[in-house]
Amino acid sequence: MKPASLTGNRLTPLARQRLWLAPLVWLALLLLLAAGMGQLEWLFRLVEPDMREVIYRRAGFFSLLGQHILVVGAASLLAVVLGVGAAIAVTRPAGRDFLPLVSQLASIGQTFPPVAVLALAVPALGFGTLPIIVALLLYGLLPIVRNTLAGIASIDLDVHEAARGMGMTAGQVLRQVELPLAAPVILAGIRTSVTINIATAALGATVGASNLGDPIISGIVNGNTAYILQGALLIGLLAIAVDSVFERLIPGNPG
Amino acid sequence: MIELFDVTKRFGNDTAVDGISLRIEKGELCALVGTSGCGKSTTLRMINRLIEHDGGEIHLDGQPVRNFDEVTLRRRIGYVIQSTGLFPHWTVARNIGLVPRLLKWPKGRVRERVEELMQLLGLPVAEFADKYPRQLSGGQAQRVGVARALAADPDILLMDEPFGALDPITRETLQHEMRELQARLHKTIVFVTHDMDEALALADRLVVMHQGRVVQQGRPIELLHDPVNPFVESLLGGMDRGLKEAALIRVSERMLPLGPRLLASERIAYGASLSQALSVMLWHQVDRLTVVDEEDIPIGELSLRRLLGAKAS
Repeated sequence: MKPASLTGNRLTPLARQRLWLAPLVWLALLLLLAAGMGQLEWLFRLVEPDMREVIYRRAGFFSLLGQHILVVGAASLLAVVLGVGAAIAVTRPAGRDFLPLVSQLASIGQTFPPVAVLALAVPALGFGTLPIIVALLLYGLLPIVRNTLAGIASIDLDVHEAARGMGMTAGQVLRQVELPLAAPVILAGIRTSVTINIATAALGATVGASNLGDPIISGIVNGNTAYILQGALLIGLLAIAVDSVFERLIPGNPG
Repeated sequence: MIELFDVTKRFGNDTAVDGISLRIEKGELCALVGTSGCGKSTTLRMINRLIEHDGGEIHLDGQPVRNFDEVTLRRRIGYVIQSTGLFPHWTVARNIGLVPRLLKWPKGRVRERVEELMQLLGLPVAEFADKYPRQLSGGQAQRVGVARALAADPDILLMDEPFGALDPITRETLQHEMRELQARLHKTIVFVTHDMDEALALADRLVVMHQGRVVQQGRPIELLHDPVNPFVESLLGGMDRGLKEAALIRVSERMLPLGPRLLASERIAYGASLSQALSVMLWHQVDRLTVVDEEDIPIGELSLRRLLGAKAS
């Protein structure tokens, strides 16, 4: 998929560099904060003057951040493969009968609270990373399935008719016409899904998946607002950074 | 050559096409006309198998279309639709080159062919090749649509109300170009329209459809003279039939050589139609016109009597 071919606008190299400025700034801020949290002890002291410890030290922020990205990345990748795949399958003539079923299943996945999924998944899958990946996968499917369906449905029927009438095979119609035209809407769905999951992944800390949710849960348990702030700040920055990357990726949305 | 033998198509309980038989000769432009829902579009789309027929047989050069792989079949048949169906994410050049690329022509040959077609359809390459469909006017977009259909030089062209969405002036220009194009290319064309003037102007043969059946077919002039029933008569214009027929006849076919009399003051081009000549006479309240050639040189004359009397002969 070539975003430039969709928007049709030609950007100068300088303008294109500037587009990536915002994501780079957010990423730099995120890494800086993860590396230099210890330097901000004075700041968190203001929040919790009476606590013995104000910086979360049970694990390094870098490794928590890495874990967080890994869990969200794995869940999102699976959700994209499953969600886009299912939506494509049910918009083919052979799979059309399953369209209502798939869109309902995806909706149910999102109405089911992730906490409940965790509670059900832990007995089956044990503690650790696996149950949270399953919960995020289910939770993240809906926006992807819904947007892929909407993206494909939004394509002008006449474009579809012309594509078939010109003698394109079903695969060629999908790859050369449907997917490129639906790409902006599909990417928007993936963006929503990933951004929501970055926040939701913090719940993993309650079932022993160590990630940026750890300082938050620990802060709640010990009544230490400084810990909560540290986890929340990093999660927030990660979400903004990833979101601004998507902002640049989505065609027709260059700035 | 396209032949339909007793072809039927049903959608549920509705019979869209009810046992029609047609024979469209090579190099002929055949217009399917009729009111909305008469089955003319369905008939067209059964030829390239976008819709499969339920009964009867459709032959292409003597071969049943069912014997062809549908993708191969469609790449051999040009297809033009009213809304153009251009791919919005592709440039004009890429849209036109679609079928040659599907047929795996070498890149250089595709490019040459695209440029050739753009010139043929009056789309300057430098100006239009890199434009996107949304940057085109309706007329330009339909020119691209026609170019795309002609790209792989198919023998057969299916056109589904190709000029139906255009304003009257653009439509007339494109109809005119279409006539000239067909005079050069001699494609076998099936042309669906509900615009009787368009059908009369373009068609070698007219097929009038009503409720899934062929009501009458023949040369435009035959239908005008001899409609089989009031439906065909009203479709052909009812009381305006005289003018419609006059629109099909050129002044050059009816003019007389210049006589000894003085030249009439009002002039008409020899390529104009009798209806235009009549209009000029009405307007200037004269009963005689001087017929001129392209260089405005008098080559004959046309009297009202001759104009009227010619019809009887």
